[in-house]
Amino acid sequence: MNSFTSYFTDAVLRAPTIGCMLMCFSAALVGVVVFLRKQSLIGEALSHATYPGVVLGTIVAISLSVGIDQELELIACIIIGAFICAMLGLGCIQLLEKKWKIRTDSALCFILATFFGFGVTLASYLQFTFPAFYKQSQNYLYGQAATMTDYHIGIYTFLSALIVSILMLFYKEIQTITFDREYAKSMGIPVKRIDFCLFILIALALVAGIRAVGVVLMSAMLVIPAAAARQYTNKLFHMFVLASCIGLLSGYFGNYLSVELTTYFSQKYPASRLSLPTGPMIVLVASTLCIFSLLFAPKKGYLLRKFRIFLFQDQCIRENILKSMWRHGPKNAIPFNTIQETQTASKAYIWFCLWRLIQQGWVLKNDSNHYSLTSDGEYRAAQIVRLHRLWEVYLADYLGIGAERVHRSAEEMEHILTPEIEKELTLLLNDPKQDPHHQPIPPSSPF
Amino acid sequence: MDNEFFNPYSNNTFFEFFYTLFFRMVAFFSGKLPVAEFASDEIQLIVLSFIASSTALIGCFLTLRKMTMLANSLSHTILLGIVAAYFFTIHLYGSQAEGVSTPIEIMLLAALVMGFITTFLTEFLTKTLNMQEDASTGIVFTTLFALGIVLVTLLTRNAHIGTEIVMGNVDILRLEDSYAAGIILLIDLFFIWLFFKEFKITTFDPALSQALGISPSIFNYLLMSLVSITIIGAFRAVGVLMVLSFITGPPLAARFLTEKLRTLLILSVIIGVLACLIGVALSRHFLSAHHLALSTGGIVVCIVALFFIFSVLYQTLRLWLVYTKPVLPPKL
Repeated sequence: MNSFTSYFTDAVLRAPTIGCMLMCFSAALVGVVVFLRKQSLIGEALSHATYPGVVLGTIVAISLSVGIDQELELIACIIIGAFICAMLGLGCIQLLEKKWKIRTDSALCFILATFFGFGVTLASYLQFTFPAFYKQSQNYLYGQAATMTDYHIGIYTFLSALIVSILMLFYKEIQTITFDREYAKSMGIPVKRIDFCLFILIALALVAGIRAVGVVLMSAMLVIPAAAARQYTNKLFHMFVLASCIGLLSGYFGNYLSVELTTYFSQKYPASRLSLPTGPMIVLVASTLCIFSLLFAPKKGYLLRKFRIFLFQDQCIRENILKSMWRHGPKNAIPFNTIQETQTASKAYIWFCLWRLIQQGWVLKNDSNHYSLTSDGEYRAAQIVRLHRLWEVYLADYLGIGAERVHRSAEEMEHILTPEIEKELTLLLNDPKQDPHHQPIPPSSPF
Repeated sequence: MDNEFFNPYSNNTFFEFFYTLFFRMVAFFSGKLPVAEFASDEIQLIVLSFIASSTALIGCFLTLRKMTMLANSLSHTILLGIVAAYFFTIHLYGSQAEGVSTPIEIMLLAALVMGFITTFLTEFLTKTLNMQEDASTGIVFTTLFALGIVLVTLLTRNAHIGTEIVMGNVDILRLEDSYAAGIILLIDLFFIWLFFKEFKITTFDPALSQALGISPSIFNYLLMSLVSITIIGAFRAVGVLMVLSFITGPPLAARFLTEKLRTLLILSVIIGVLACLIGVALSRHFLSAHHLALSTGGIVVCIVALFFIFSVLYQTLRLWLVYTKPVLPPKL
């Protein structure tokens, strides 16, 4: 078991860790733009399209008589090959769409599979002729960070710096184009050229990432950090920062898990010589973070949203109970069944609400199991009824809605109106004494 | 590969392959060649043709309905189904020697279940969690695929199996695989034959079909189920990614040649099967003439792409001859 910090200091572990983090960082940054432009499927197609480039790059390296230990030359060839293939794939997609009028989804799918198939054919050639190089190129399929060296760090630092600087250089233009193309055109921004620039960015990010995440899963690292970051913020800059943080985290922990699990399994099953690819682990970490954000993000998180809705509904039910007790005569004690008849919620839930109302000191329960309002409760119920009837008056007098149709809206608004709005309504309506149904409106609070 | 008996195709070049194939077929139809004596090339040819036919049939509807990205995400997530089916089989039938194939009914069940899980999760992300559609597709299938890769590596304790699943390997095909592929082709054919009218009307005019009481969403689900069983039938031979080329390639190529649905289906099947035939022959040619064992699946994908280019060229040439200004076919 290695400690968390040793992943940055240990000579063997350092390169993969930093490499993975850099790759995920640049992918996450570009991913934000891809995500906002709804082009994540293009990322998917292009990431697969880099595979023949990886194999071709290796073949070119061999024909230039680069040895298997000349890391730098080999990586350079592979990166250039992958980049060219990604751009070629993009060109083909555009050609299919624009020239031959094939729908986007079919074009993406066809290019993805065809390029990948071409890559597989080339790879089988490589496997047969140069098995050692074939093993190297297979690392790019699912990503294998463990064998990275300091050369890789150098190259990926350079690529990340390139991506960050392009993004910074065109930040304004990218922002404008992403959110309002027509406006950008009228501003005189060269939309086509910036689009092309963005595609270069995508290709660069893919090429930088495939060593760690692999061609098959690379598109995930574009989408997932951006999707997770989107849950927390509405600002583009914050999204860039958050997405890159999520990218860095998943890069680190993905690599960490892959190394630790590999050592664990090699101790448990020494014969199998198992090595877990980094790509799936990174993706799994990232998607765990993403699912967590989707469920628990403060504003948009699904579970938190549901929880807030539940709290509001709970408050509504309690207020409705108070109201219905008030309607039965503020001073009367009423049995449970009478209260339950007026509510839609289940028996047990109403019982639970009443129990809490008793704890809060708004309701009393007498010896014969009848419930009555305390003076506090009576006042609170009167307030709710007041809000209800004030709103009815407002709707009828100011919005000209028929008196028979105002009840439903007031039924909702009574739980929403704040004391400030109540004051304004009172002022606006000259403190009315009767609602449209000629019911008296309880007086406002003495406090 | 074929140690038990002599392979008649060894050392055959491209044209000699067809020559041998012709005589083997004559021998087969005159009853002189029992099924058990099929050479590995023939088995590959049979399996690939079955796969190509079923994928081409399904692919026509998918491309016309703009649903090919569904095939893409299913092809990734089906891996999890494959892992599940594999382990279900081991627990059900006791531990088996490696290489024994999973029974087809379990495979089909796994494919269906995974298909529904994928669609359900994607819709959950889009509708309940308010995620944009492309991103939710991307998140679901990559996550499930990553999970599948990790599980398959850990559970089989074999790092190469992951590679084999995305790349496919025609050399491991045996006669049983052709039965499985045949059954899947029959299922596809049966459903398309049974619901041809419904598929046609839900594809071209969903509003009309709704008015007629044919629910497009039911047929979407039916098509989705067919896609997942077709993909699971193909993964051993061509892998889960290249099958996408089998699905989209032939219909796109055929689309330039015809405007009728029935002709489109027939033409795509012909293109798919022809590509397989040429692909297997080329693969044998490279082995005999250049001593290169290239991936047959990859070669077939390249041939499909060539067919596409030819049909584009044919279309361009024809339009150029007929009109001065080229008119393009309706958007596909």
